[in-house]
Amino acid sequence: MSTPPIARQLVDSIIADFPDHAAGTRPVHTIGIAVTGSFTASDVARSYCVAEHFQGHPVPVTVRFSNGSGSPTEHDGWSDVRGMATRFHLRNDAATDLIAMTLGEFFTKTVESFLAFTKESRPVAVSPEGPWQKIRDMLALKVPLPDPMPGQTTSGSAGLLNFANRHGYAQLSVFEAAGIGAPVSYARASYHAVHTFVVTAPDGTRRYVRFSWQPVAGVRTTDPTAPPIDKYLHQELAERLSTAPAEFTLMMTIGETGDALFDPTRPWPAKRVRVVMGSLLLDTVAADQAASCEHISFNPCRLVPGIDVSDDPILKARRDAYEVSRELRGGTACPFHGE
Amino acid sequence: MQNGQGWLDRVVDRLPETRLFQMVARRVLVPYWAWRTPVAPQPGGPPFAAQPGDNLQRMMNLVMPLKDKSPIGRARAAMAVAQNVDEIYAGLNNVGTVHFARFVLVDDNLCMFSVYDGDFTNYIRDFIATIGSVFDGVVALIEGGDAVIPSESNVEAFIDWVHAHDLYQAPDFSTDLLTEQAATGAGAASAQDDLRLLPRDLILQLHANPNVSLGSGYRFYPGYSAAQVRHRLGVGW
Repeated sequence: MSTPPIARQLVDSIIADFPDHAAGTRPVHTIGIAVTGSFTASDVARSYCVAEHFQGHPVPVTVRFSNGSGSPTEHDGWSDVRGMATRFHLRNDAATDLIAMTLGEFFTKTVESFLAFTKESRPVAVSPEGPWQKIRDMLALKVPLPDPMPGQTTSGSAGLLNFANRHGYAQLSVFEAAGIGAPVSYARASYHAVHTFVVTAPDGTRRYVRFSWQPVAGVRTTDPTAPPIDKYLHQELAERLSTAPAEFTLMMTIGETGDALFDPTRPWPAKRVRVVMGSLLLDTVAADQAASCEHISFNPCRLVPGIDVSDDPILKARRDAYEVSRELRGGTACPFHGE
Repeated sequence: MQNGQGWLDRVVDRLPETRLFQMVARRVLVPYWAWRTPVAPQPGGPPFAAQPGDNLQRMMNLVMPLKDKSPIGRARAAMAVAQNVDEIYAGLNNVGTVHFARFVLVDDNLCMFSVYDGDFTNYIRDFIATIGSVFDGVVALIEGGDAVIPSESNVEAFIDWVHAHDLYQAPDFSTDLLTEQAATGAGAASAQDDLRLLPRDLILQLHANPNVSLGSGYRFYPGYSAAQVRHRLGVGW
């Protein structure tokens, strides 16, 4: 089956949002670091999901932490969404992925609107808002535009804001992303797999769920008023793991009828039932970053029996978009290659 | 943060932290924008929800201004509660849907905070039936309370009165404030067209509605009803 054109359009459009994008690298989340460790499911996990990695034995994992930008230049200290892609290495060379980010919701709910979103977020020349304009904003009780980061000459923020002002569903994500900040460590951020999956219990019960990683070390961001530091996250993680593992708890939230099951722009209320599905211990920076970080190809639809994709159209579109991206950068083939 | 800023930029960036600007904002800007783009107070209590998880462990945050704001008046309110603890507790037991309830004095207000299951109106009806007489004694100490007592003879008015004193529960997700205000016709909702105005909409809501509950709150465990909790703990009912 040939790759659907929309997937290629999406990838091309995302790449166009980063004029300095380097061929052969990921279109977004370009800068990353891979670490390894193991995941152990909780005692209750297996009663909710029959998937292999939820049965309780330790499962080796590779995790790629990343900055959200598609630029090849590292700006750890800039306010940006971060990624956490987890590969669970299962028996018989099987694997499943869980892809999460620090933003709690996605920007759009359909593929077509996401394509429009990427086009509208093209970077344009940016300069600090003048002092008189800032004063006018303050007098209107309006948030002044944030100053560009040191050295930043272009930004897609204005386009994002315009999009959100015309599309209410994008307002929450754009508003949250604007203030998301920079984590002091990749191990001190919460990561959300914003899409709905369907898990199957041993008795056949199927539940709509969403997953998130909660850092045991707690969430902490850098001081937004301090000058940002471009490179610190990789070294911090290496130093952290040299003394003790970084630990995350995998939480699974169960949706209810009436929740936005297939709309990733809507987070679910915190009142929903949350199940502790397991604990992730990361202890080693991968020795071969080329294989474990750059060439590895994650895919949110790489699932195993017991977990299925929902009817979330963005989740379904990501399957092919990730495959297009992999082909463009020559990543390791994934199970969907050639379908 | 930006390199190469001039002195005027630095002054302006620090302006919101200055006492002068804060005074101007408080005395001039907020009243001006409240007049120019009026925002009506959002109704109290949790928003309507159909999902079971949203109808369990709901919060009621009554803030009731005392008629007598002296220490004597506050003591009188404290005594009205303390002298009827048995009746209050027995009544709450009989309501059966209340997880927690407590009375608190905050400044010149008597507050009742409770966590209950199900519909608000039904909760208050049960409340009237079980401890209405005691509560009448409390409400008599509150501004405007005389108009709704005895509660057993003024059920609907009493429910409305309680609802009016129940704090508005701001949405869990920041931008939902805009859709809520638009849905209730509660004001300009100007940030729907310009997200940078969201803080102003929040400021104006808090100007019209000074006391609010920030979101629906944190839950460590899933939303079980009071009856389910007692049943699972094996402590009967």
